[in-house]
Amino acid sequence: MKRFLLTTLGCAALSQSLLADALPTADTSLLRVNITSQGWNFYVPWQKVNPNTRRGLGALLEGNRVLVTAELAQDATYIELEQADTGRKISAKVEFIDYECDLATLVPLDAPGDFFEGKKPLQIDTSAKPKDKFAVWQFENNGSPVSTPLEFTRADLGEYFIDNERFLTFEATGPVQYRAGTFTLPVVNNGKLTGMLLSYSAKDQVAQILPGKIIQRFLDDAKDGNYEGFPGFGVKTSSTLDRQLRSYLKLPDNDGGVYVSAVLPNSSAEKAGLKKGDVILELGGKKIDSRGNYDAGDYGLLGMGNLTKGSAKIGEVLKVKVWRDGAALDIDMTMLRQDPSSKLVEPYMFDRGPRFLVLGGLLFQELSEPYLGSDERRERAPFMLLYATQNPEKFQAEGRKKLVFLSAILPAESNQGYERMNGLIVTKVNNQFITDIKALDEAVKQPIDGIHKIEFSEFPKVIYVDAAQAQKDNEETMPQRYRITTLKRLD
Amino acid sequence: MILRSLSPLICAASGLLFVAAVATPVRAQKSSEAGEEKTTSMGKQYEGIVRVECASIVPDYKTPWNPGLPSGGSGTAFMIAPNLFLTNAHVVSNANRLIIKKVGDAQPYLAKIKFIAHDCDLALLELRKPDAFKDVTPLAIGDEIPKLDTTVKVVGYPIGGERISVTRGVVSRIDFVSYSHSGVDHHLAIQIDAAINPGNSGGPVLQEGKIAGVAFQGYSGSVAQNTGYMIPVPVIKRFLKDVEDGKYDNYVDLSASDFPLLNPAQRQALGLPDDGVGIMISTVDSSGSAGGKLQTGDVLLAIDGNKIASNGFIDLNGEQVDMAEIAERKFAGDKLKLSVWRDKKQLDVEIELKRLTAYLMNARNYEKRPEYVMFAGLVFQPLDFDMLSAHNISNQRVRFYYNYYATNELFKEHPQVIVLTQVLPDSINTYLKDYSQQVVEEINGKPIKTLKDVETALQNEPAGDHVVIKLEGEGRPIVLEKKLIGAAHKRIKQKYDVKNDSFINDAP
Repeated sequence: MKRFLLTTLGCAALSQSLLADALPTADTSLLRVNITSQGWNFYVPWQKVNPNTRRGLGALLEGNRVLVTAELAQDATYIELEQADTGRKISAKVEFIDYECDLATLVPLDAPGDFFEGKKPLQIDTSAKPKDKFAVWQFENNGSPVSTPLEFTRADLGEYFIDNERFLTFEATGPVQYRAGTFTLPVVNNGKLTGMLLSYSAKDQVAQILPGKIIQRFLDDAKDGNYEGFPGFGVKTSSTLDRQLRSYLKLPDNDGGVYVSAVLPNSSAEKAGLKKGDVILELGGKKIDSRGNYDAGDYGLLGMGNLTKGSAKIGEVLKVKVWRDGAALDIDMTMLRQDPSSKLVEPYMFDRGPRFLVLGGLLFQELSEPYLGSDERRERAPFMLLYATQNPEKFQAEGRKKLVFLSAILPAESNQGYERMNGLIVTKVNNQFITDIKALDEAVKQPIDGIHKIEFSEFPKVIYVDAAQAQKDNEETMPQRYRITTLKRLD
Repeated sequence: MILRSLSPLICAASGLLFVAAVATPVRAQKSSEAGEEKTTSMGKQYEGIVRVECASIVPDYKTPWNPGLPSGGSGTAFMIAPNLFLTNAHVVSNANRLIIKKVGDAQPYLAKIKFIAHDCDLALLELRKPDAFKDVTPLAIGDEIPKLDTTVKVVGYPIGGERISVTRGVVSRIDFVSYSHSGVDHHLAIQIDAAINPGNSGGPVLQEGKIAGVAFQGYSGSVAQNTGYMIPVPVIKRFLKDVEDGKYDNYVDLSASDFPLLNPAQRQALGLPDDGVGIMISTVDSSGSAGGKLQTGDVLLAIDGNKIASNGFIDLNGEQVDMAEIAERKFAGDKLKLSVWRDKKQLDVEIELKRLTAYLMNARNYEKRPEYVMFAGLVFQPLDFDMLSAHNISNQRVRFYYNYYATNELFKEHPQVIVLTQVLPDSINTYLKDYSQQVVEEINGKPIKTLKDVETALQNEPAGDHVVIKLEGEGRPIVLEKKLIGAAHKRIKQKYDVKNDSFINDAP
């Protein structure tokens, strides 16, 4: 009995010392990741843009998984994992990817053999506190590791890769020198992966870091093989600092609370019965102040969005205390996720091409944010398309699932006289209301007396296209002159 | 005016420049012997062509309680009848004082506007004391549009000197163009390749000694060279006829947009023979002349007996012109006879022409004081071109009202669209600055459709302790405590030098 106890203790001591010796380093736990990306061209949707190869760094996790940012792995066509010191490579593929939280795991395409031998997976650090000293790991060109220190200064909510999706973000300061091929830098705290560096301002020496808590939430979600993603709240708020507003709402003067200025359709908030004009006093048991923040302990004041898009899981119930009609009210809110593809105008689109249909040189597309593109491009976009992105409910109320519009015309015999039309929202084709590109595909199968009737919400309201000639243009002019062999993409 | 949404005029219009010179200090010019002789001989021929100097006030839509900035410019005018001078509206717009100067005569003569037409950029001036011109022979107005490639002379007082200037060119093109003075009107204009420069505006373009047009706009140098535009005789004559009754009544139009029938499938679907005749009606303004008479998908075959080609052109005295030209020459109450193809049958439709004012939402304003209401630092203004430009508003709801006011008939619900344009900072409104540049929906429970509604709703305070202003769309109500308003309003008026609480034009 005694002996046994001793033995076990001895074992424990031994493994303790082994672990200490084997604290992971860039050498043991980082891999170079070479990713070739090729997205679709949203203006010529039958073709892809030029392929672009980027080098980044991935953090090795349990189970021969490599963690990178989704931004690095977007629209990947070919992925390689590379040992920095030896230059040895294997092919890999994306296992899970979530563009909103900007994370992806990569796994070897085939059995890795001894590729991971001697490597040490990193644990995730979810307990980082401000003033912690982080290290950013990189490799020199020759493969030797470099570690630069960063000090964790503050936490806040910020956008990662997708606009309007705000997550917990760490800010850290220190001089980081970018080495060759370092897109996505793992950040380490006491030998554990504490985050991924999202961006760095050399001028201010400030780094934005995607924290370990979000990484852990992403990995936990993926554990059962069925990745669900982060839920959303679905409210827009404004502050209640204005005493005149508080007295109008009969809100006690020093009791915080943030005003709900809009509730997004089909969101967790709407389904739970939150209304425009409510004042959120508490969320998930946390008191919400008049600017919509709560006391997040070590992180100080954080936006309440971190309570809904942080650790909360889909289906989890959060308690909301609201102020409505001069009294407090408790509401149970089931956290839901709105699939971006369910939106009228999809906010982002990766790993698949935009939906379109060519009819005798008329190019119809479903409107998406990537189509609208940069701010500069938006300034020249037809007003109605921009208006639809900000007021989707008006278009959804008409029964639309997507916004189908005529995006361009490839001159051909069947579209003679229509060459200068573009940016027009389609309402009906052959008397059938167009809810999405699939509905359009069905409608164009039924021309009226051999002619397609195409109606728009605005000038010129209606055009006609000869069905037989359009078919001929689709079969001859499009492939022969414009070299378009894919005339539609419905999925 | 018929809208041609596909026309490239929209982008071209941005390059159009008025050709009125900015006032520069005028130095007294001593005339030499030779110069005297020259002006005298010039004077015989061009004595009816005068220089117009206009002192004006440019209204300030950003700070609408201010009187605006004094400004001025010069252009040209010419005598077409005893004591009647024709010029451009833009030469004399917002005038406080007008002076006419004669060739070879240093004396300034005070003038005033008799009639002004902003939609076709023409104005008639008269002198307070016409004696100096009693021996001057008026210029005769030509009969028709000059032919392409014939020579014309442009006479006026452009930049580069004080004396009269003559340039020569040929008629390059006859077409409908955007008249940039109002920004929303399209009329017939003639493009010539003679140099037309700032100061030429309002001057005559002569052919065989008669008026062929009024020089009025050109492009800035970087857009196009050797393109000047003149207002042709039909537009001038229409203006002169319109004012015969003592007032100007503006243009009337069909209030429908058309789309060419250049695709064989259109003709087949509409059951039209393949004879190149007819143009399709696209949109119809239900409050305009054609409202209830025409509908989308109708095909216009003929207008007042003139056959319409599939591109919308008609043959008028041997010239191919836009069919709009027929309505262009008519007046309010005149009839237009249309031959219409509907449901594969021909029918005759008679339309009484009237003016559609909804498009003025997008037009530049002249001779107008900006309207506003200021209340506790909140500034309310009606939406229009000048207000939108002054505040550079990008809010999409405001833009929607502006862009679709006429076409989506938003004017039926909103005689005016009231925008909270700015908040003059003060302790009472310190949390409100983010809510400016939005459309006002309700004040104290009353819907807001005009600026007068704002004033009335604010004056008739409801029960309770607060004034409540609701803005369209997202956001929170704007709430002011009644007990704070009186002192704050007084303080703000004084600090920001707002002389009056409001200016509302009672007779719009």
